[in-house]
Amino acid sequence: MKSLSKANLSQFLETMNSKVRVYVPVEQDGVSRFAPWSQDCQLVLDRNTINPPKRLFFPQTEELYEYQVDKQDASVKSLAVKPEPFVVFGMRPCDVQSLKLLDDVFLTKGYEDIYYKQKREQGIVISLGCPEPEETCFCDSWGVNPARAPLADIMMIESEDKYLLEAQTEAGEKLLADLSGQLTDQSGELPEGKPCSLKVKNEGLMEHLQPKFEDPVWAEICRKCINCGTCTYLCPTCYCFDILNRTRGKQGVKYRCYDSCMYPEYTLMAGGHNPRPTKKERVRQRFLHKLQYIPERYQELGCVGCGRCIKKCPVNLDITRVINQLWEVE
Amino acid sequence: MNAQTAKIREIAKELLEKQEVQMVIGWEKGTFFYNSTPVFITKPEDVERLIWDEYCAVNLAKLLMDYRHVEGKVALFVKGCDARGINRLIQDKVIDRGKTYLIGLPCPGMKDAGKAAELGKDKAGEAPLEAKCLRCTHPNPVVYDVLVGEEVPVTGKEDRFARIADLEKMSPDEKFEYWSKQYDKCIRCYACRNVCPACNCRECVFDQGQTWLERAVERGGNQFYGLVRAFHVAGRCIECGECERACPMDIPIMDLHHKIAKDINELFGDYEAGLDPEGPLPLGMYKTEDPEEFM
Repeated sequence: MKSLSKANLSQFLETMNSKVRVYVPVEQDGVSRFAPWSQDCQLVLDRNTINPPKRLFFPQTEELYEYQVDKQDASVKSLAVKPEPFVVFGMRPCDVQSLKLLDDVFLTKGYEDIYYKQKREQGIVISLGCPEPEETCFCDSWGVNPARAPLADIMMIESEDKYLLEAQTEAGEKLLADLSGQLTDQSGELPEGKPCSLKVKNEGLMEHLQPKFEDPVWAEICRKCINCGTCTYLCPTCYCFDILNRTRGKQGVKYRCYDSCMYPEYTLMAGGHNPRPTKKERVRQRFLHKLQYIPERYQELGCVGCGRCIKKCPVNLDITRVINQLWEVE
Repeated sequence: MNAQTAKIREIAKELLEKQEVQMVIGWEKGTFFYNSTPVFITKPEDVERLIWDEYCAVNLAKLLMDYRHVEGKVALFVKGCDARGINRLIQDKVIDRGKTYLIGLPCPGMKDAGKAAELGKDKAGEAPLEAKCLRCTHPNPVVYDVLVGEEVPVTGKEDRFARIADLEKMSPDEKFEYWSKQYDKCIRCYACRNVCPACNCRECVFDQGQTWLERAVERGGNQFYGLVRAFHVAGRCIECGECERACPMDIPIMDLHHKIAKDINELFGDYEAGLDPEGPLPLGMYKTEDPEEFM
């Protein structure tokens, strides 16, 4: 295990950034997100970012390929670019777990999404454990330890005036070895953090929900929802996207862009039929997708308990309260 | 429990028991002390869920749209801004005043929930008012069937156009840079539109595939979205500030709406939307003496 004095954090990041592009959690124009490190950036290390780090691996808007059409001739050129290796510094254990879920979707079941894969392979994750989760956090109800991210390359946690770092993969070991000048050897083990105060009952939830598709409770739950996309766009595990064209004359670009099951247009079919015509169906889809469909398909919950949707929902439609309400249904 | 909460429960209970309304829309306590969230009461025994406290910032008017075609009346608690939202929907022919029962609540201003969360429960009393409440000109409901409590004075905590004075001083390039920075943050979740009582179109132009705007989230498209929405609610915006409160990216959306409201005042005389559902809309009519600088 290594230790890094808090006073040397800036130097540490600067040195790392001279070897490999580093993304850090920052506050910029009143909103927090992961952005490239610079000396004058405003680091946010006391809470998680509002914009999830999934955006580094799966951006909201992403070009896929260019095309050209001229009479009978057509050509296509992929725009998939393998990025230079990069480091994501300060990703919370919930968000690291979200990468596992995105991996399931983009890399398994017989199809690999090259655009996601190239970024995922080149990204080195330094996770920052949470000594004290925020009140909107409930990751430990889903089995995530707020102070540990087993999938991260390096696990880091605050301990008084320093950070303790432990490499968990080969890439992590190599990175720490490259930065050994900035670090001190340290004995002992990474400290544990405090548990989350917000709790939900997890065990058996998928089975409980399976027969509830037609339950009248959904008509109750959906009432206050305004069907905006805030929850889905801030969610670290939501992955839905639409594929669109930008055609100019004989050429154009195919790109993808986040889409949200909260929008009526999401399921609108050619001819005008909409299988999810009201907000009841749309709200049900969002919760069942996370709590039933993803667990059925990937044996993992589709929520990591980061609490962003609780924090930012304009009407406080809180997933933990929805789950409690669903548990009350016989 | 405060006296007004007891009173609103009593009123709601009576309305439901006498079957004068089939639903009461109000607020209940949400996840944390700083969350008061919309609730829909249909049974008299559920009125105990209703509350009235310093976190009832959500404007309920828009939620009434889901019940505009139901049989019978729906009751709604209205602060000043909710009441103006109701007038907006009546004037836009979206809801029928005869099918609503409005319970007016003079509003002392709501606490900024985000700041209260940061301060914690013990110090929450020090939290400032929501930005939208600081600039509120009508804390008392402008339309209601019954009023709970005494009207509150309009304190005029802040001039509603104060914040745009600095923006107006900027050069066009500075303005472009400022707004680019703001709208570069936009994730196009459409929370500002969906929460807005003036955004009541049956089908929004931004939901018509890519007919008018590409889905790509980028500078030009984001600004186009923000501007089109601002102009579409011009002269109809009731200045409830819900767009800005709902925005997860902290974009100062109300600055756009206030600037347009100020321009309308200067061009066509003082006007505030949502005060009178019968009155003419400044941009929905013309007079021969209207300014015609562009002609």
